[in-house]
Amino acid sequence: MTRLPFIRSAAALVAATTLAAAVGAQAPRFFDDDPISREPDSEDASNAQPEKVGLTYDLGYNLFVTAGNAASGTRAKNVNTIDEVPDSSWFTNRVGSRTLSADELAKGPITGSGPDNSRWTLIREKASGFAPGFTAKDASGETWFVSFDPPSNPKAATAAIAIASRIFWALGYNQVETFLTQVDPTRVEIAPEATARRPNGDRTTYTRSDFEQVLERSARNAGGTYEAAAARLLPGKVLGPFRYEGTRPDDPNDIVAHQHRRELRALRVFGAWTNLTDLKAGNTLDTLVTENGKGVIKHYLQDVGSTFGIGANGPHDWDEGFEYFYQGDTTKKRLFTLGFGLSPWQTAKYQEFDSIGRFEGDAFDPLTWKPHTPTTAYMEMRADDAFWAAQRVMAFSDDMIRAIVATGRLSEPGAEQYLVDVLIKRRDKIGRAYLPAVNPIVDPALDGAGQLTFGNAAVQYRFAEAPESYTAKWSTFDNHTGASTAIAETTSREARIQAPSGLPTAAGAFVRVEISAASAAHPSWAQPVVVHFKRAGAGWKLVGLERLPEALSAPAATK
Amino acid sequence: MTRSYLHTRWWLGLALSGVVAAALPASAQTPQSRDEALRQAKAEKAKALAPYVPSKGEQWVDRIENTFLDGDLRWHPYFQSALAGGGFTLGAGYRFFVSPYNTVDLRGSYTLSGYKRLEAEFLAPRLFDRRGRLSLVGGWREATQVGFFGIGTDPTSKDDRVNYSFTQPYVSAQLDVWPTRRYFVVGGGIEYSKWDQEGSSREPSVEDVYTPATLQGLDSDPTYLHVQGSAGFDWRTAPGYTRRGGAYGVTVHDYSDRDGDFGFRQVDYDAVQHFPILRDAWVLSLHARAETTYDSGDQQVPFFMLPALGGGSSLRGFSSWRFRDRHSILLQAEWRVLVNRFLDVAVFADAGKVVSRTKDLNFDRLKNDYGLGFRFHGPLATPLRIELAHSNEGLVIVFSSKAPF
Repeated sequence: MTRLPFIRSAAALVAATTLAAAVGAQAPRFFDDDPISREPDSEDASNAQPEKVGLTYDLGYNLFVTAGNAASGTRAKNVNTIDEVPDSSWFTNRVGSRTLSADELAKGPITGSGPDNSRWTLIREKASGFAPGFTAKDASGETWFVSFDPPSNPKAATAAIAIASRIFWALGYNQVETFLTQVDPTRVEIAPEATARRPNGDRTTYTRSDFEQVLERSARNAGGTYEAAAARLLPGKVLGPFRYEGTRPDDPNDIVAHQHRRELRALRVFGAWTNLTDLKAGNTLDTLVTENGKGVIKHYLQDVGSTFGIGANGPHDWDEGFEYFYQGDTTKKRLFTLGFGLSPWQTAKYQEFDSIGRFEGDAFDPLTWKPHTPTTAYMEMRADDAFWAAQRVMAFSDDMIRAIVATGRLSEPGAEQYLVDVLIKRRDKIGRAYLPAVNPIVDPALDGAGQLTFGNAAVQYRFAEAPESYTAKWSTFDNHTGASTAIAETTSREARIQAPSGLPTAAGAFVRVEISAASAAHPSWAQPVVVHFKRAGAGWKLVGLERLPEALSAPAATK
Repeated sequence: MTRSYLHTRWWLGLALSGVVAAALPASAQTPQSRDEALRQAKAEKAKALAPYVPSKGEQWVDRIENTFLDGDLRWHPYFQSALAGGGFTLGAGYRFFVSPYNTVDLRGSYTLSGYKRLEAEFLAPRLFDRRGRLSLVGGWREATQVGFFGIGTDPTSKDDRVNYSFTQPYVSAQLDVWPTRRYFVVGGGIEYSKWDQEGSSREPSVEDVYTPATLQGLDSDPTYLHVQGSAGFDWRTAPGYTRRGGAYGVTVHDYSDRDGDFGFRQVDYDAVQHFPILRDAWVLSLHARAETTYDSGDQQVPFFMLPALGGGSSLRGFSSWRFRDRHSILLQAEWRVLVNRFLDVAVFADAGKVVSRTKDLNFDRLKNDYGLGFRFHGPLATPLRIELAHSNEGLVIVFSSKAPF
């Protein structure tokens, strides 16, 4: 088979089950529980089996097939009726949805205490990834995945893991609990049953020489110890990576094709912010856990360490973040100009810190940022997905960024401040690129007196001037037929518009408002944000928000 | 995933919306809330769960990947001909592990010119706690039409070509040691081989033009015990493909002829340096090599063992073995252009000469060529190099399975 039928199958399934759409022609547009805040994991997934995603196939498919696929323009399927992503086994609303204290940010995904590094018992070689490391039990007997920094970049990869795991936790993703610790080789013993895979495919006893080989690839402290990142063993049964397209056919709760999950599309923006260039499926992980007596699959971004300017074995290559591993257009340009057709990565200026690698904010362009290989979810990102993601990035205040970066314990003079500055610079570039790109109306509210208020995210962050005017087209809305009847059109120069007379007053009545803005600088703001309010008591409850129509002829999120 | 299963899924997907919608008016299945609608959809999917089945393409690629990882990749292409200049080479090898790291490789090749090579190699890459590498080789090769253009640089012409052939059984051992596990390497080797040199079926054959009196070593069948030692520094990322670093080394050879007629000594000096420019957009790669031979007593260096220039890894715009003499000097420069992670283009120039006296190893009257090359590479190796080289003797197309230097 090809992947296409699989995608079609998944897409058809999704068409029936999108979280926001009506479930049938006779179903109401909005249910009483809309907008939902959590996607239920109602079915038992206990029978899900481990599966692998081949590294070579994933790389080749994404480079030479996915990269050439046109985006479908399909709206994200896992958004609720107000265009937000409900909590799920994939995602938990955090930053931008509630206040996160500095302490919360510093803890991130951590729920327990760190490893007792007074003794390590090495039990296995490192199972995945290219960073030097191994699997070991600490003095208390708990299992940890230990990884080190490359010799060229002390405290870089470990710090990146610590910082990035907190950023992605705050963004809403399931993250592995990771601690910064130290490993003293004299306090490492090798379990007799520990094995290593050899080139001939055999597993044989792990030797001291194997251990020394790991240390040779790692940055050594002056005292002979090694900085390490220790990741706690995830609870549950490991099922392997998830794919960025289709659904797991053995998970009954997985009904939205992954390429249409907004939080997976949004990794294009979050990845750009943090320079998470290694977006391959192999850096994700599904685990089967038991919740309320049922098997539930939790989905993790397992390895977010290849961020900022560092990779597993040294600084990012110069073109990382600027080009895929292979691109036809740049290949032709460099081939026919003998390399004199320069690319932005060749002239970008870096302030190089060993503990950060190659990370900068001046040449960075969020619209052209690229990971090693695209994913289908990456290709499917639309402007409304990017807007949603950019809002979350902008929700990180300078102080929040400082609090998270401090957890990396970057001791190199100036490094911590530099990383903070670049993250702020890239954050603002993301906001500037994506917030004004679509109609940036946010937080609409209608009070009992008919006063419609809303925000303008682009104006709020000073990425755009206020529009000349806002216009609201008011209609009554029949929740069962979907028919709307125009009432009137009102206009205001401010983000506050009085409703016309004639709004329904009956409990449970619906009103539809199309809010647009007239801005010569931003013609896209003329595309109205369609909101629906439901009469609740003496006031109105927001039950619907659609920033862009269901289907776009082409995605408007990227250059 | 089977096709029928796919179709089932496809129709299930299409039908699902209808099922929910049709049931809405009165059925107990009519969802009363978004949460319930989602639960129904998930319950519907739960009726048709199945394990993920990879596509044929995915299975095929995964099988290859696993073959590499499991050490099960036994057959491999082999493009090393019996001798340079044999033309397009086809060959195959069968490599298998005899221990977790050590391998035996049985391989052979054949060229359009009829060159043949058959050999077996035992390779132990991790001796002395990952500080040593041992290679034991036994084999036989035949080259049927090796070019000989005369001795020296200027007095010879490409029109002077005569041909000879040889067969050679050989056994050898080579041990390389990295005392610090990287950068500094010392090596030692020993080879026992018997040369059986004859005329060629390709006209003109060497004996048509030369006699043993006019060409040292003609019709000789020396049996050599070849001992060599080398020392060098190598900080390239990989010898097969690199964009930075350098390699500097000296190798001393002693060829001892069992009959005492054609023994000699040889010293090779080799220097490679790569300069990345503008973040690897370009790499300026330089290579210099000098080979000098010394008589062993009153013995002579046979013509077919003289240092030579010409061919795909030295003077690329000239025929293989175009220039031969007691000593040689070769200078190569390349402007390598990073096109993408898998392809480099290079503009190159080569210069060199062969001389009979070491004092003539200078930069005067060098033969030179220039050209354009395409290198398909990975991070560690260059499996295909295609080059077009031009000299005053014409245009040469080079196909090779390794980097030029």
